[in-house]
Amino acid sequence: MSVDDIIPGSPLARALNDYPVPGLSAGFADRVLAAAENRAAPLPELRRTGGSGGRGWRMGRRIAIGAACFGALATTAAATGVLERFDIAVPSAEKVWASLTGKETPVVAAPIASKPAEPAAAALAPVVIDGPIDTPEELSEAFRRIDEVREGRSAVRRQVIDQRIDRAIERRRAAGLPLPDAEQEARLRQRIDEAQTLRQQRAGERIASRREELERKVENGETVTREDFVGPRRADPATIERREWLKQLREMSPQQRREFLRNLPPEQRRVLVEEYRKRRSEAATKLPNTSAETPASVVEPADPTVQPQI
Amino acid sequence: MNTSGEPATSPATHSAATGADAALAARLAARDSAALREAIALHAGALHRVAYRMTGDAHEAEDIVQEAMLRLWDHAPNIAARHPVGSEAAGALKLGGWLQRVATNLAIDRLRRARRLSGGEFPDSEDDAPLADALIEANERDLSARALIAALPERQRAAIVLTYYEELPNAAAAEALDMNIKAFESLLLRARTALRHAYAARAEGGAL
Repeated sequence: MSVDDIIPGSPLARALNDYPVPGLSAGFADRVLAAAENRAAPLPELRRTGGSGGRGWRMGRRIAIGAACFGALATTAAATGVLERFDIAVPSAEKVWASLTGKETPVVAAPIASKPAEPAAAALAPVVIDGPIDTPEELSEAFRRIDEVREGRSAVRRQVIDQRIDRAIERRRAAGLPLPDAEQEARLRQRIDEAQTLRQQRAGERIASRREELERKVENGETVTREDFVGPRRADPATIERREWLKQLREMSPQQRREFLRNLPPEQRRVLVEEYRKRRSEAATKLPNTSAETPASVVEPADPTVQPQI
Repeated sequence: MNTSGEPATSPATHSAATGADAALAARLAARDSAALREAIALHAGALHRVAYRMTGDAHEAEDIVQEAMLRLWDHAPNIAARHPVGSEAAGALKLGGWLQRVATNLAIDRLRRARRLSGGEFPDSEDDAPLADALIEANERDLSARALIAALPERQRAAIVLTYYEELPNAAAAEALDMNIKAFESLLLRARTALRHAYAARAEGGAL
């Protein structure tokens, strides 16, 4: 007996004990028997009764439904980026698989986003100058076509830069490195735009003076050939070879490029590094507020093949 | 405590231990009227006490007992199938406990329905006919205990009736109320506390 029990003989117990129960009325058993005889057959069971088995199955089903709902919600949250908003890192499938199998996944460059809609192919095709140009009309037509190609290539370059920025951010995100916030990213893009504008201004000035020379040449009755447009640098075999080589490098994936540079003889690699540093320092001197701070992974040396001389 | 002199443990306790309940269930499943009469003789008294003390109404209590016995009649085939005579499960079958659970739940259902319909705690109708003095006195005494029990919520009322009046062990009472033992003990504690408070309030008000 615990302290909470109602103590026998206490006033409360005495009060409770004054509760007699009348007996069942006479003929109760007969009435129940008669009712049992006239009772309709019970309805069949709606669901299988299996004691604890059925209960267990119902519980298991609820757990399964709950797990499925949770999985669907978690997948939706991960897919819509809700988890990232709360700083919950969502590992990629490759990382999860690598952690399960213990194998290191090869470092793969971020997938290249689908290429943006490029300007008309005709606008990007190099202008072909077959014969000599000896009239101002022909010259202005050649300038017009060259301008078209320049504009097209400039648009492509802008898109390429955007893609490279996006890829760099993706790579950093995949590697778990801190990402620039919106303000930093905007500042970076602004610096790149400024550098581009400056370079275009310089190229424009150079082209304008060159065109004036060519116009004067035509006005003097001389003819202008393809070599006048292309410029002396393109004719240089060493430059062409270097450009070809750079083009090959650009077409490689980052991993291939790294491997290629590693496999170079040390002297050649050193020369390349020196050249690259020199170019960087020159660029930094020219643009003290811009390219000196620009990450190498985002801004790469301008492609000279898309930079027409005129 | 059993004030009406009935045995605290019904004969069903012994019969369950020997597997007699399984045999009785088998006979009920075979639609043997004599078996039903036997089940009524064994269990109806205990069920009626519980039902009466919970509802405070003799007719209502009889209805509850009748309904419980008819449900046993209906479910007998299933019960017999799950506890075949001679098997290990047959020894575990306690028809008394099963009936106690059905009757308690029926009583709780009826109390809730009555409360919804009438908005009060007591049965709808009281007999207003003039009574002899002795009967009045006995009824007043009876009413005081009844009022104390009736002041409790349905499940607390069932807990007190099963453990105090029927002297069921807590485990059996918890089973009758389809609760786990911890929850039942908590319910019983609340019920006893409420009962003491109600008694103290009535004593102060001069009702006792």
